[in-house]
Amino acid sequence: MGRWRYFLQRVLLSIPVLFLVITFLFVVLRLGPVDPVAARLGPQASGADVAAVEERLGLNDPLWEQYIRFASDLLQFEGQSWVVQADRGIPAVLADTAPPTLWLGFWAILLPLFIGLPLGFYAGLNPNSSRDYISSGLGILWLAMPNFWLASMLAAFLASTASGGPLGFEWHTFGPNIQSVQGTPSLNFVTLSSIGPVPFPTGLDLGGFARDTKKILPPAIVLGSASMAAEQRIGRTAVLENINSKYVETAKAKGVKGRKIITKHVFRNALIPLIPVITNEAFLLIGGSVIVEELFTINGLGRTFFQSIIQGDLPLAGSLLFVFTLLLIVLNIFQDLLYTIIDPRVGYDQ
Amino acid sequence: MTADRVRDRPDREDPILQVRNLRTVFYTDRETIRAADGVSADIYPGETLGVVGESGSGKSVTARSIMRLIDSPGQILAGSSIRYRQTETVRAYADSFSGHTAELSDVAHEVDKSAAFDQIDRTPQHFGHERPEDVPVADLVGGGYGPELGLCDEGDFVFVTDGEATRPGQIQRGFVEITALEGEAKRLMRGGRIAMIFQDPLSSLNPVFTIGNQIKESLNLHRDMRGSEATREAADLLEAVGIPDSRRRLKEYPHQFSGGMRQRAVIAMALACDPDVLICDEPTTALDVTIEAQILDLFTQLQAERDLAILFITHDMGVIANVADRVNVMYAGEMVERADVDQLFEHPRHPYTQGLLESIPGAQSGDSLSTIEGTVPTPNEPPTSCRFADRCPKAFEACREVHPVSVPANEQNDDHTAACLLYPENMSEQEAAMMHDQRNPPREESDTS
Repeated sequence: MGRWRYFLQRVLLSIPVLFLVITFLFVVLRLGPVDPVAARLGPQASGADVAAVEERLGLNDPLWEQYIRFASDLLQFEGQSWVVQADRGIPAVLADTAPPTLWLGFWAILLPLFIGLPLGFYAGLNPNSSRDYISSGLGILWLAMPNFWLASMLAAFLASTASGGPLGFEWHTFGPNIQSVQGTPSLNFVTLSSIGPVPFPTGLDLGGFARDTKKILPPAIVLGSASMAAEQRIGRTAVLENINSKYVETAKAKGVKGRKIITKHVFRNALIPLIPVITNEAFLLIGGSVIVEELFTINGLGRTFFQSIIQGDLPLAGSLLFVFTLLLIVLNIFQDLLYTIIDPRVGYDQ
Repeated sequence: MTADRVRDRPDREDPILQVRNLRTVFYTDRETIRAADGVSADIYPGETLGVVGESGSGKSVTARSIMRLIDSPGQILAGSSIRYRQTETVRAYADSFSGHTAELSDVAHEVDKSAAFDQIDRTPQHFGHERPEDVPVADLVGGGYGPELGLCDEGDFVFVTDGEATRPGQIQRGFVEITALEGEAKRLMRGGRIAMIFQDPLSSLNPVFTIGNQIKESLNLHRDMRGSEATREAADLLEAVGIPDSRRRLKEYPHQFSGGMRQRAVIAMALACDPDVLICDEPTTALDVTIEAQILDLFTQLQAERDLAILFITHDMGVIANVADRVNVMYAGEMVERADVDQLFEHPRHPYTQGLLESIPGAQSGDSLSTIEGTVPTPNEPPTSCRFADRCPKAFEACREVHPVSVPANEQNDDHTAACLLYPENMSEQEAAMMHDQRNPPREESDTS
């Protein structure tokens, strides 16, 4: 089958991409104005200490040896942080910082998907009605607000309600209680046990789940705002385009029920232009999480990356970039998979 | 495909589909476009009615009105009637929609039509007749004036003219008024009774579903077939429209089919609903000539096998000559000439038809191809003159003052009519102009309601 062959091709192509990325990362990181020794010892460090640290970090080895160590550490997820969490193993740092980011990303993708997309489809099904204008107007408003601004404003507003906000609204006590708008969600609402190396959930603390969800909602809304707007707008256009298409008229002419025309004929075609929008937004979330995590002081991948890069923590920064790259590649493959499933024309050449 | 066949048919008297005074308008910010402006046509079982005209003459709008595919800002105006008269269908509809069925058997004879026209805001001329008593009750009821005249209830769309509404199985005659259909009744008519084939076969098929899926959808909707039974029937249909290796082809997607194959698949999809009337809106325009000939042959063959009534829309006179039994010529929203196909090609009466025939390459003498100058005007006003007058080589003064109506145009053949002031031939120009003028609705009245 042509479609699946095409898909396999795409998967195999990502392997050389991975190696290119590793090399590129090494070059960029080494070329940058980084001084891990100074970051670690402070600017007043004496010559002997500096030499010792340099020796220990392997900075005096030939460049090709450093490259090979860098590459193999990345591929095996090994190596140690130099500065940010000095001498800790990178897997341990990742295990600490990845969950909050994944939790944030999960909600930042979910919210637009379940708010932006339905709003867009709804607007497309009722074009040029007042409902359409309201939905589209909200979409443009969301799109127009930059993340960093929205994040500061939202954090400031929610924090200001601590002593009673407008209409008696107080975010901290609204729903489950939380101490602060900012901070990392604890994410210990799932009790994990394991049989051998495989962990599986054995219990769920609903209170903790609600607290963590509430904690992550403001940053997730900020992070997802642009996606929400984009999905709303493209969803609307895609539905409009398909609803006026010839095959919908044909379906009507053969007596297909109105609802089935929408659910079977329109939606599946409308999803095709939305796939790259949705997966591309997942890319943006990674970049966006750096700003949002910093502003909401969430100890996630984004914030840790930001610190590691300004402090010259080469192995940590490299590893995080490598993780981001892996995520992108997986998302790309996932996008191709969705395309292959939804659009039969993919991979077909005349 | 000759006129003889048409005349020999016993049920010549009873068209399966009757269109009367169809007015479909499109409201835009600037103007109201009267895309179909008083169109009347009859389609008989087993025959092909060709509708021919330039782009913008209202052919497709007429077809879409019959399918009820006109969406906002378009609207079919009151007074328009599209009647589906197949007895079996009337019985089935009277059975399923007894709440929307009205009996006209007895009341029809008792209607005082002069009084009726006093009640409604119309004149007999709006219905194409001079005197009230000439207007058929079906035109009034079908046009939506039944409730006002106390002949039926609001929302009725099944009308029994011979038989009893309470005993659907015994109904002898009647009609389903397509312009009044709503919801499920409208959906069942589409595809199940009247199917339509569109111009571009690629965009008519949904790109993300297999051909088999789309044919089976029709089978499922109108013949309640599912699973392997539907698959078998779908394969048979593909074979019937000339697609070999149909089992495998069912699993393929539209983009894997060639242009001609796609149109065959679209035809199979339309036939899957087992319709009695097939509307073809320029079905071969997107195909090359060889494939066109094959598809036209296919229509002829399918028509013979299934006794289909076909409404064939095209701008190609050559195609019309090939497929049609009778022809209606459309111009600017009106039917300007109707005749048997042989009559039309041998003795075209309307100057527009004559112009069309002269513009066929190869048929004319002289060095350059003769054409009709100008383009079809947009019919955005109620007609006050002949809409063809500006382009007509035979136009005279009255043509710009009087709107012509359809009149007999051929002494040998009653079925040959033309909407032109040159006819009837036995009248002088002045007499004819007066006669045509009298059969138009009064000017001052606005008829856009």
